[in-house]
Amino acid sequence: MDFNTPILVTIILAVVGLLMPVIDALRRERISNKAYGIAASVTLAIVIGVIIFNILTNNTSNIILTNSVLSNDLFGAFFSIAMLLVSIISTISSIDYMRKTPNPAVYYSLMLLSSIGMVLIAYSTDLVMLIAAWELMSIPTYVLAAFKKRDPSSNEAAIKYFIFGALSSGLLIYGISLVYGISGSTNITVVIQSLAHIDESLSFIALLAIVTFAAGFGFKMALFPFHMWLPDTYEGSPTTVSSLLAAATKKAGFAAAIRVIVIGMSAFSVEWGLMFAVVAVLTMTIGNLAALTQKSLTRMLAYSSVAQAGYILIGLSVAPYSDLGISSAMFHVMNHAIMKSSAFIAAAAAIVSISTVNIDSFKGLGRRMPVTAIVLTISLLALAGVPPLNGFWSKLYLFTAAIDASSTVTWGSYLALAGVLNSALSLGYYGWVIRKMYFEPSTSEKVKEPRIILGVLIFTLIFMVGFGIYPTPLIEFSSLASPIP
Amino acid sequence: MNITEFVIISAILVGIGIYGLVVKRNFIKTLFSIEIIVNAANLNLIAFSKFNPITSSAGQITALFSIAIAAAEVAVGLALIILAYRLYNDVDVKEFRRLRG
Repeated sequence: MDFNTPILVTIILAVVGLLMPVIDALRRERISNKAYGIAASVTLAIVIGVIIFNILTNNTSNIILTNSVLSNDLFGAFFSIAMLLVSIISTISSIDYMRKTPNPAVYYSLMLLSSIGMVLIAYSTDLVMLIAAWELMSIPTYVLAAFKKRDPSSNEAAIKYFIFGALSSGLLIYGISLVYGISGSTNITVVIQSLAHIDESLSFIALLAIVTFAAGFGFKMALFPFHMWLPDTYEGSPTTVSSLLAAATKKAGFAAAIRVIVIGMSAFSVEWGLMFAVVAVLTMTIGNLAALTQKSLTRMLAYSSVAQAGYILIGLSVAPYSDLGISSAMFHVMNHAIMKSSAFIAAAAAIVSISTVNIDSFKGLGRRMPVTAIVLTISLLALAGVPPLNGFWSKLYLFTAAIDASSTVTWGSYLALAGVLNSALSLGYYGWVIRKMYFEPSTSEKVKEPRIILGVLIFTLIFMVGFGIYPTPLIEFSSLASPIP
Repeated sequence: MNITEFVIISAILVGIGIYGLVVKRNFIKTLFSIEIIVNAANLNLIAFSKFNPITSSAGQITALFSIAIAAAEVAVGLALIILAYRLYNDVDVKEFRRLRG
């Protein structure tokens, strides 16, 4: 049967996502949080199944440029799977985490609608589609961040997120208007062709367009000058939502940046590689330094998420000079999605059981919540890039790409060096949490761990250790899916 | 009028919008600033659509899209303002000092 995956996925998610609040409004008796959570998770699982089935039956091309609005390509499938895995992890964990929160139907519906936006961003090859999908992803997450209505810090988190998110989409629309002015079209293929033969007098406008795009995507990717909102938002919003924001919407930023800037703008010969490299080093260093002094686990994870964006950006900045560039960045995107969501879900388990994420109160957590502590330890080690976990391999590939690029550009090897030094630095604060959990005694009793979250944590544990020992399938998938500019 | 004037006006509007976002502390003024940025982009799109030698209506369609998107965004923003007003009795961003690290 000939069908178009992105459209099918949109239809499935939209039907379920829109039906849930309607059913909730029509029925008199309350349906439990659990039922909605299971419905949403099953829908997401079906959607992931559809995408994987489509890859296996070779319905997906790896041609990245088309004249249509959505392209059913492997690149989109790769990012969709990474982001939908995070969505499903957050959704299942919410069954435990949001147990006492009112309006479960709206919560899960917004999760599904935001997932549609992510999938469409990954597949879109037209700038108008991209901005519509971008907003479809962002607007539900503003509401999700503010979902704890009576909690002032949730509201504050949402407002800070909203201001920066709205600014980012405003800048994106402005960038699109400039690109449209230069090329007379919003299709990325046409834009590339016209940027390749650009008139000398218009090159200033083209440069301005690249800068506005980089800034617009940079807000979501949490690159250095645009990262101020992120720690507040991740700390204040519900932790399952933070997991979605840190691990999924951020990846959508990278998907869009690869589509538009790396593929799109590579035709236009400006030294954006060096610009990205400088931003990458600053982002890593500032994220890691700020994370060192944090007292709250979610805030520390937020800063570490800033640092990880810097690592991924290494891959994008060396993309014009090394074939490994984009594929290694995509490999780290997939790994980081799982590692980071796993760490945030472990924090959510801590909130459910001991209702705090203050690192000082994690004393003796290794005995109080054994499974959560093990998974948190493994995901922190994976984030730091300790072998034989999955984070090690993707960092290795990123640094190899940077060294590979150093044959053309001199800064390549410095970039790899900065990455290695930053990994060592990050082990400092990850190690501190692990020390608190295992080597500091506590007199408190053992507490009950939330059961559904445990299931999710064990899944992520298997993913991290499994692909750490045998990373070949992921490496192959990311190199197949990566577009070579 | 020619195309350059439109582009300059829209660039000035974007500048005003970013200035408002950075300097103003009132959340409603922040929303105004965001609207100014989006409308600057719309002005650009429509001007390019009119003056481009390759006639295409894509610019006008994009502008319509962006108006609808901005409306949805502002609706969520206003909902957040109402929530903030109930919690703080104020809509000033400087009240938000709970999250610090």
